[in-house]
Amino acid sequence: MFRAALRLSVSGARSLTRTRPQYTASIAARSYSHGKQETDEEFDARWVTYFNKPDIDAWELRKGMNTLIGYDLVPEPKILEAALRACRRLNDLASAIRILEAVKDKSGPHKEIYPYVLQELQPTLSELGIPTPEELGIDKA
Amino acid sequence: MSLPKPAMRGLLAKRLRFHLPIAFGLSLIAAAAFKFGVTEPRKKAYADFYKHYDSMKEFSAMKEAGIFESVRPTGK
Repeated sequence: MFRAALRLSVSGARSLTRTRPQYTASIAARSYSHGKQETDEEFDARWVTYFNKPDIDAWELRKGMNTLIGYDLVPEPKILEAALRACRRLNDLASAIRILEAVKDKSGPHKEIYPYVLQELQPTLSELGIPTPEELGIDKA
Repeated sequence: MSLPKPAMRGLLAKRLRFHLPIAFGLSLIAAAAFKFGVTEPRKKAYADFYKHYDSMKEFSAMKEAGIFESVRPTGK
């Protein structure tokens, strides 16, 4: 996130439009000028694979989520679905609900993102029996 | 009613792209305003004061007022 800011101020804000499509899905937030830039689809696929590991452990789940939250993006519903299924395998309902709270927080002022993500995740939430923070009444302080 | 997919990537980058130039611009304006509103008038005030300053006249006035120890007023 901060590397994004540094990139912008150094290269000049105006040049951002040129590089924007490839830039935003950072490869672990590194900005090398050499090597191929990862596409958004490759980024998403990598993360889905990460969470789909059948024997993922609790540390890897937490590490994955924390790393993912550090990026300048709201994770795609398909990544979140894989993460929620990983929570199910680990019998971790608390983390599943926390993931939903994190999505809402990452959206910041863009209030249309969270309802969209919930809409896309609805089948998975029903299947796995995960309540939303709103249903539990814990979304208000 | 199905919600359309919103933009989910690069939201901070977009915000910074908009706000950073404004932040830099406002900072520069603030610095320029202080320079031309405060420091330059202050420098000019000092320069104007000392342009026609007669130090001997001021010294004599202070001497007659008797504030010095090393030199007494005339006639004392």
